[in-house]
Amino acid sequence: MSASDLRITAEPIDVGRCKFVVSEPVHAGGVRRFASPDEATGSPLAEAIFAIPGAQVAEVIVSGNLVTVVKRSPAPWQVVGKAVGQAIRAALAAERPAVAPKAAAPSPATDDDALYERVADLFDTQVNPMVARHGGRVELIDVQDAVVMVRMAGGCQGCGMADVTLRQGIEAMLQQHVPEVKGVVDITDHAAGANPYFAAAKK
Amino acid sequence: MARPAAPRLLLLLPTATYRTAAFVEAARRLGVELTVASERPSAFQEANPQGLLTLDLSDPDRAAAAAVRFAATHPLAGVVGVDDDTAVVAAAIADALGLRGNPIAATRAARDKYEQRRLLAAHAVPIPRFRLHRTDEDPRVVAAQTVYPCVLKPLRLAASRGVIRADSPPAFVEAFERLRRILAEPDAAACGEPARRLLVEEFIPGDEYALEGLLVEGELRMLALFDKPDPLNGPFFEETIYVTPSRLAADAQRAVAACAARAAAALGLRTGPVHAELRVNQHGPWLIELAARPIGGRCSAALRFAVGDAWASGRGGDDEACASLEEVIIQHAIGRTLPMLTRERRASGVLMLPVPRAGVLQEVRGIEGARAVPLVEAVAITAHPGQTLVPWPEGARYPGFVFARGETPEAVTAALREAQDRLEFVIG
Repeated sequence: MSASDLRITAEPIDVGRCKFVVSEPVHAGGVRRFASPDEATGSPLAEAIFAIPGAQVAEVIVSGNLVTVVKRSPAPWQVVGKAVGQAIRAALAAERPAVAPKAAAPSPATDDDALYERVADLFDTQVNPMVARHGGRVELIDVQDAVVMVRMAGGCQGCGMADVTLRQGIEAMLQQHVPEVKGVVDITDHAAGANPYFAAAKK
Repeated sequence: MARPAAPRLLLLLPTATYRTAAFVEAARRLGVELTVASERPSAFQEANPQGLLTLDLSDPDRAAAAAVRFAATHPLAGVVGVDDDTAVVAAAIADALGLRGNPIAATRAARDKYEQRRLLAAHAVPIPRFRLHRTDEDPRVVAAQTVYPCVLKPLRLAASRGVIRADSPPAFVEAFERLRRILAEPDAAACGEPARRLLVEEFIPGDEYALEGLLVEGELRMLALFDKPDPLNGPFFEETIYVTPSRLAADAQRAVAACAARAAAALGLRTGPVHAELRVNQHGPWLIELAARPIGGRCSAALRFAVGDAWASGRGGDDEACASLEEVIIQHAIGRTLPMLTRERRASGVLMLPVPRAGVLQEVRGIEGARAVPLVEAVAITAHPGQTLVPWPEGARYPGFVFARGETPEAVTAALREAQDRLEFVIG
């Protein structure tokens, strides 16, 4: 696929966060989260996004064909999004991988690895049995720097109460059972949800 | 020293609301402990009983009793409803717990179009002439008694669902029967006696405006006035574009705000968000509707308020520190003093995407192109593939929203129209 065939759709979540859905995979090796320019070193895509002038990028999360950018600048996504799109195109056109593989753990079990196991166990034994009552499913994508990344599916994907599930349900359970977790990031493409449990209907 | 606990807000969120994300994220940004109450149980209610609650939102007294029991172990600092029905429930809970809130009767009057008009007329607020009818009356008899053009309205339905203009007796009979069928649909009929009545009121010509306000100790603060650049002359009244700041002359804006303030006072509302629809013609402003709730749908994203350093942290437009409408509402509900609230400097607008025709949505094309229109900040498609789209007047669900910001209302309006032109709903 040539760079001109590449399609990138920006989906702003709010003034600080925007998802970019790319028509081809950006990074096939699971989720990579970059919380600073230093962490982005060696990953050309993340380096380029952190370098966007005036955007004050705080975080870049890459997973499959999804790039989530968190910025501190009040600049509109209309402007910043174009620069992110250019960075994605340039990174995918280059010969080097856009995102470097996650570095091997220096010890048999880093904190994130240990957290992943505990969070996965919580999801298997409690979270998913609960959301299954509403035809939903929550997939644990990764844990990086104690931040949990999840993707919702089934009845949760596109559900009008998905934010309540995320904040009052999943995040609250993590605070109780795995208090070392610092946050939860939802990387779900909710617009693609075809069977939401609760659909918004009122004005 | 122990850190004082964050105040807890009870947020009444019907499961069908569009406003979940905006309110939940606002509470997070403000560091407010949140309890979300809905009419159906969350999958996590047992796991997080202090954060999730099930209340009978159709029965304010019962909901208030349950909230009192809840508050005995989890003290509440405030309660917020997000729509017409939960505004009544919030008032009942506030009354029971001594929290900041409206009189229950005032919120009931705001919810019921007939009761609202009766009170507004009694207080000489300029409103269309109106008559109440039963759905089992003979429409031909009513048609013969009616002055044209007129508008038929249900007493309770939201989003202009069931609102139909009639210009002649034959059109009236057709509209009456159509509204009767809408009111017989299960979700409409569920509200009981109000679904067996309808309003017939005079059609008021003129430009329409939407006022977003906040009542603080009985005084209405106008937060924003939206122009509606597309004429709303019927026969149906599906919304399209809202854009602010208004291009209405300053003295006319003051008259609109004064009219809305008189209406709120006439209903007995004293606190919290107010959304009013008004028309303006050569006679001045006319109050069409007033609700004790914030603007509907996803439209609140069009509003940001410069609040200085009081409780914002660099969010918002340009170089301003801005807060969302939901943050303003929550801060007020939990009893915090509000700073001067000024809407951001730039013009802002929202387009409620119309339903092109009835059918099952297969896909929406052109989203990327719509997002690429200069000044467009977001295109949110809220309908999902496989969803049945129902046009007005039977329908009440916008399939999506487009947001734009720019230097002038004209530029924002043009951007919204161009974005709409680029979107294609594929309906099977």
